[in-house]
Amino acid sequence: MLKLKGVSVQYGAYKAVRNVDIEVGKGEIVVLLGSNGAGKSTVFKTIGGLHKCTEGEIMFEGKRIDQSSPAQIVKTGIVQCAEGRKLFPRMTVYENLMMGAFIHRKQKKEIENTLHEVYELFPILKEKRNDLAGSLSGGQQQMLAIGRALMSKPKLMLLDEPSIGLAPIIVAQMFEVIKQINKTETTILLAEQNANAALHIAHKGYVLENGSIVVEGSSEELFADDNVRKAYLGA
Amino acid sequence: MEIFAQQIFNGLTVGSVYSLVALGLTLVYGILHIPNFAHGALYMMGGYITLTMMTKFGLYYWIAIMISMVIVGLMGVLMERLIFYPLRDAPPIQDKIAAIGILLFLEAFAQFVWGADYQTMPTPYGQVVSVMGLTFTMQRLLIIISTVVVMILLFLFLKKTFIGSAIIAMSQNREGAHLVGINTNKMAMLTFMISGALAAIAASLSSPINLVFPGMGHLVILKAFVIIIIGGMGSIPGAIIGGYILGFAESLGATYISNDYKDIFAFILLVLILTFKPTGLFAKGGHS
Ligand SMILES: Nc1ncnc2c1ncn2[C@@H]1O[C@H](COP(=O)(O)OP(=O)(O)O)[C@@H](O)[C@H]1O
Ligand SMILES: [Mg+2]
Repeated sequence: MLKLKGVSVQYGAYKAVRNVDIEVGKGEIVVLLGSNGAGKSTVFKTIGGLHKCTEGEIMFEGKRIDQSSPAQIVKTGIVQCAEGRKLFPRMTVYENLMMGAFIHRKQKKEIENTLHEVYELFPILKEKRNDLAGSLSGGQQQMLAIGRALMSKPKLMLLDEPSIGLAPIIVAQMFEVIKQINKTETTILLAEQNANAALHIAHKGYVLENGSIVVEGSSEELFADDNVRKAYLGA
Repeated sequence: MEIFAQQIFNGLTVGSVYSLVALGLTLVYGILHIPNFAHGALYMMGGYITLTMMTKFGLYYWIAIMISMVIVGLMGVLMERLIFYPLRDAPPIQDKIAAIGILLFLEAFAQFVWGADYQTMPTPYGQVVSVMGLTFTMQRLLIIISTVVVMILLFLFLKKTFIGSAIIAMSQNREGAHLVGINTNKMAMLTFMISGALAAIAASLSSPINLVFPGMGHLVILKAFVIIIIGGMGSIPGAIIGGYILGFAESLGATYISNDYKDIFAFILLVLILTFKPTGLFAKGGHS
């Protein structure tokens, strides 16, 4: 479904991502593991069209998307929950969700249905629909970011460290929700440092170090890999 | 008491014009984070275009205003495309210098085309009316009412339509706007269009009671900057309320203190507010 081939990304002269190959199949949950500064967010921003790659190509459902604008990419069905959530802080929860449906703005009826689904997944968002996004707790903001992304009815959802800075109990809920979203035929690419939790829900994974993929394999293989266990599972 | 009521009315008139100009300025600031010094030149062009449509083409006042709003709106769009967009990754100082450049260019252009003379704009609403001890021209009443109508329309657009909300969303988080698939280029152009149209209608409404000349935007734009600083940069309610506050301060100050110092009140207000609430009255807790 999504295929990165030999993708490199530079910030000025600094190569943050080198020659990365990633493949995400339809219906999968794929995790991109890596410590701080490994280049996970850079990979995500590049897929989303917020950065251009200097080398390589990105294909989505057989079409090249690496020259498309962020808005075009959202329209093709890739949405992301970025690092820092990027909500609209002085808009209400409801207004944030509606903005998530921006690309479907002509289909009022469908938006209504999707909103209903999002509220079902996150009852707290319904409860707080008239509160300003900026006034929510960290966990609620993360839910809103995911809810907003769902409003665009994505085929592929990129989640950049959804568990960061959240209490363990909320993190567990978050991964549960991700699994649930995946069951409704949304493919998921997840960036995480929390390898343990992520590998439990993922089908396969990649390990990114200093901008390069160093290990890849199914979740079972990664669990068994000595380097992964040492570096990311604290074993 | 009657004088007081009269001055409140005048303050409302002047404040309306200030609010409209400040609204355009604050919308662009919210999106681009640059103070568009050229906004005063758009205001001036709005005055001239309406005047020309009326005197050269014999068009009715409202038709002339509509055309002026469209043309100045398009000038705003052109400004965004030709100047600010190419500078989007440049250091912020370059935007500001470019804006001043546009201002100087448009003023020289106006002087070249229309001359340096002060011109009067005719209005079909020149009649004087007296109601409950207040005496005013219909034009002044028209300014107040039209401004309220424009503000309501703008509010409905920004609050109730997807496109309008997208402008607000983009001003609150540009990257977030990208993430939901908002085409930020289109939104920036649209914002400049609206901003230009607001400047044009403000100038067209106020010109019959003031005059049309190449420098007519100077004081207005300076005051509009004071207003959006007072109101909180990028804040829409701040621009509206700030505009009226300044209008009242000026007309009351002119009556009870001295008419000679009318144009100074804005800056006194600025100093006071920056001393006691440096982020402006409607500060928005930083841009995240
Ligand atoms: N806008 C930027 N300009 C320059 N360097 C950047 C920028 N964003 C990220 N980097 C650098 O690129 C590398 C990868 O960063 P990032 O993709 O954010 O990693 P991760 O998400 O895995 O923590 C880091 O060394 C970071 O310092
Ligand atoms: Mg990151």
